[in-house]
Amino acid sequence: MADFIKNPVVELPERNPAPSFPASELVFTDAEKAQIAEYVERYPTADGAIMRALWLAQEKFGYLPPDVIKLAAEEVGMPYAKAYGVATFYTQYYKKKMGAHVLDVCTCFSCQICGGYDMLHYLENKLGIHKGETTEDGQFSIQEVECLGACGSAPMLQVTNGSYVHNLTTDKVDALIDALREGKSWPFESVTLPQDEDDLGGNRRTDVTATETYQTPPASETIA
Amino acid sequence: MEAKSGKAGDWRSYERVLLPKVKDYHQLEVYEANGGYKALREILTNDKWDPTAVTNEVKKSGLKGRGGAGFPTGLKWSFMPPVVEGVPRYLCCNGDESEPGTFKDRQLLEYNPHAVFEGMLIASYAMSLAGSYLYIRGEYADWITHMEGELKKAYDKGYVGKNIMGSGFSSELVIHKGAGAYICGEESSLMNSLEGKRAYPRVKPPFPAQKGIWGYPTTINNVETLAAVPYIINRGGAWFAGTGAEKHPGPVLYGISGHVNRPGVYEYPTGMLMTDLIYEVAGGIRGGKKLKAVVPGGSSTPVLRADMIEGVTMDADSLREAGSMMGTSGMLVMDEDTDMVSFLRRITHFYHHESCGQCTPCREGTGWLENIVTRIDEGEGHLRDLDLLVDLCSEMEGRTVCALADAAAWPVRYTIDRFRSEFEAKCRASLVSSGIDLAEVSA
Repeated sequence: MADFIKNPVVELPERNPAPSFPASELVFTDAEKAQIAEYVERYPTADGAIMRALWLAQEKFGYLPPDVIKLAAEEVGMPYAKAYGVATFYTQYYKKKMGAHVLDVCTCFSCQICGGYDMLHYLENKLGIHKGETTEDGQFSIQEVECLGACGSAPMLQVTNGSYVHNLTTDKVDALIDALREGKSWPFESVTLPQDEDDLGGNRRTDVTATETYQTPPASETIA
Repeated sequence: MEAKSGKAGDWRSYERVLLPKVKDYHQLEVYEANGGYKALREILTNDKWDPTAVTNEVKKSGLKGRGGAGFPTGLKWSFMPPVVEGVPRYLCCNGDESEPGTFKDRQLLEYNPHAVFEGMLIASYAMSLAGSYLYIRGEYADWITHMEGELKKAYDKGYVGKNIMGSGFSSELVIHKGAGAYICGEESSLMNSLEGKRAYPRVKPPFPAQKGIWGYPTTINNVETLAAVPYIINRGGAWFAGTGAEKHPGPVLYGISGHVNRPGVYEYPTGMLMTDLIYEVAGGIRGGKKLKAVVPGGSSTPVLRADMIEGVTMDADSLREAGSMMGTSGMLVMDEDTDMVSFLRRITHFYHHESCGQCTPCREGTGWLENIVTRIDEGEGHLRDLDLLVDLCSEMEGRTVCALADAAAWPVRYTIDRFRSEFEAKCRASLVSSGIDLAEVSA
């Protein structure tokens, strides 16, 4: 047999994946099933709903091992192999168990020139782990990610596919880690448009608690 | 002070349209009180607006796509084939903003979501289709939650859904949440993503208008493009065509980031002088430093040296002449201390990471680009590597299914072309002429 058949370059999904959760836990509740059925309704074919179903599964189980992908695929009504292909294509679906809080630090070019790497390295030193790793207590994971679309308020990071934390400084990173350790969530930060500062005297939204402004990032050497 | 800026006219007295001076404009009640959904009501109730008339008005406005390629929107709409009974057709609004340096769509989705919905509904009417998808990147989870709340309000008020405003016209609108992939911003890849497949780009032709989502005729427009449509209907195509640069008109959101004193998203007409945007609007370079380079519209648009931007205006023609592109109008400004080699290294890393892996020239080429630029950045490169890089770019451009390989090659080609001495100075045994201290480089 050709060598590449015995040792495939690409990791293939197990037909019957080993369980990551006990069978009693590896189920969707009726409410979750109804939610997935509602997602399926939104598309002409059931397959369209797989991304939402995987999101739901990830929120419930924390990550997407093969047996969870299989569960989501069966609930949506599409082949497991196709769902596996989808789950492994996108970066936001976690294929391995992550910390309770995943800190996605943007270092793409706007953040790079505004001190994104300083923030990444500060965080790595503070938590004692490298990017791609999880702290021993299972609390934090750090990832280096590509552009998150908040270039004007660089450097920034995202907490577990949720809140954006803009205009990072070492103080702000400290405050963030403290808040997350205490079990608090980071509030949604609305970034004020410079023209709104001039015309409206501040942020245009009155329904948010936290606002940020677009700021000139401090020069690199003063960040660390 | 002289307030005229290039083709944009008197920008200091410009009144914002897409992000007007109104508090809480993102809420349905406030949007309605300020002329929201008026354009939709107008086209649905006034007999003079048949679908062709709407498309013609958009054509007349000269609106060009704001997602990067700058294709005329009205023309794109008219590519949709004639309606066939029983064959569904779709509109897809592309909110997968992931081009590095671009962050204006996120602000638009936050501060003016209803204009996006209204634009999508007007486009649905113009192209006689009954369903549209708003694809938003998964990272914008908070904004998706906000928008779903506002969309529900619009459904409850009867602006979306069955028999809109009693006109007999029905159109559904679904928000689709992505999950992190730059390639989904490419329209055919976005279609595959919507269908629940791996987001590989498709070979074109057939184009989306012939064979799009689930094989049915589909049009894909950017968020900012569709948000401009209600204002075109309200104020007339002539108003839009008369704003900003003649051949690339309209209000546009400039996202300025990097080493400027006042970064942020600004709404001004197209055709602003780049120097005005950097020195007047964004307050100049931080710390009184000198400008070194500007990326005018996202990472794939070729970088311009400071001496190349004099008199250049922010519209497709002027930027093409200057040797770059309008792209997404997300400007990255770099001061004199920026290291262009490590800057390019980060860009090549981005494209290597985001290549979907479907075509060999891109999958392998982006990796080679990153490896070679990294080698140079670490002081281990050779002068011949620079020619190798440019040669590699030629082997990638135009040889793949989608334009990601081109987008990855351009920054390499042009950054080397325009900052060659910096690259040479970092190479081993180079003839240093750029003033960079070789001892420091090799240390």
